Amino acid sequence: MRILVFILVFLIAKINLIAAEAGMPQLDKTYWLSQAFWLVLVFSLLYFCINNIFLPKIKNNLSNREKKIKDNLEEAKLLKDNASQKKQEYINALEDGKKSVQKIISEAKKKLNQDIESKKEDIEKKIQDEINNANKEIKYLKTNSILTINKIAEDLSSKIIEDISGDKLNESSIKATVSEISKNKLKEYLS
Amino acid sequence: MASNPMTQFEVYKIGPELKFGGFDLSFTNSSLFMVLSTLIILGFLHFSTSNKKIIPDKIQLISEMLYNFIAKMISDTAGSKAKPYFPFIFSLFTFVLMCNMIGMLPYSFTVTSHIIVTMIMALFIFIAVTVIGFFKHGAKYLSIFVPSGVPMVLLPLITVIEIISYLSRPISLSVRLFANMMAGHTMLKVFGSFVLSLGIVGGWLPLTFSVALTGLEILVAFLQAYVFAILTCIYLNDALNLHH
Repeated sequence: MRILVFILVFLIAKINLIAAEAGMPQLDKTYWLSQAFWLVLVFSLLYFCINNIFLPKIKNNLSNREKKIKDNLEEAKLLKDNASQKKQEYINALEDGKKSVQKIISEAKKKLNQDIESKKEDIEKKIQDEINNANKEIKYLKTNSILTINKIAEDLSSKIIEDISGDKLNESSIKATVSEISKNKLKEYLS
Repeated sequence: MASNPMTQFEVYKIGPELKFGGFDLSFTNSSLFMVLSTLIILGFLHFSTSNKKIIPDKIQLISEMLYNFIAKMISDTAGSKAKPYFPFIFSLFTFVLMCNMIGMLPYSFTVTSHIIVTMIMALFIFIAVTVIGFFKHGAKYLSIFVPSGVPMVLLPLITVIEIISYLSRPISLSVRLFANMMAGHTMLKVFGSFVLSLGIVGGWLPLTFSVALTGLEILVAFLQAYVFAILTCIYLNDALNLHH
């Protein structure tokens, strides 16, 4: 520490010594005019060049960049707007599509149902017809068979009576008898 | 052993003697470094603006930063009315800065360490500002010496002080730059000579100081250029916008 202080004192003493013996060349007037002249000349040149050449260039470039950035931002905004519009259109189209699909599906369902319904009705009608026909046939067959049976019975009974008694009986009485018997029997049979 | 620290400020003739009507306008080392500074500034500006790109490269970016820096300095201190003086402030700042910075190189000459150089710049600024002030405001410009809101009793005293401070502007402006430059360079030189005189044993201490001072002086070189430019802006502001 002491050494440091010693060195500092030494340095300060030396500075004072040197400053005392040194004159200031700044105050020497020999070249003042020359310095002034060259300063004015050189600075004027510098000012002229900067003012007329370089500053306009830099300014131009800066404003160009600003304009470009502004343009790009505007374009980006435009594109963004376009994109959102397109998106909206897409969403709308999608919704429309969904709606129309639903419509088509419901229509098809309806049609199908109608088809099924009509087919069913047709078939039911046909079945009913068949049933009716069959019933009719059955009815016809029933009555027909009764008549045939009666006839056979009449013929048979008249023949039997003829064979046994050798006499011919009144047909109408045989008929009446047979029909009465068959009526009774048929009642049992049919019921 | 230690050379005179003031010899670095000596001006000497380079080339033939140029005399015009008894006035010595010879080309000196001072002129040489002025020309050098100007050429470096113009060269830099040329290369940084030669290929204009939308996305700037490094050198172009530096010039644009410089432009914006000075533009902001002017608009902050002197407002939008000072725009026509932008090229002058730009030239002034770059010139002083480049002279200071070139002066930091060993064996070079610091143009701004001469009172005559800074005095001429300061006087030019002072006269120009005064002319602009009277041109813009006429006799009303004299109201700069009468601040508002001062009690009537103090007014004569304040006015005198204001006039003295206004008239001392060129002196303070020029001496500030010149003294800073001269003192810094003298100090560097002195410490440099101490390194030699104390030798390998004790020379380390002044060497450390010397290195630290070099950094400080680079800062001062920038700062003084900035201060010179910003004071010019403030004086311009006084002339353009009468606040008082």
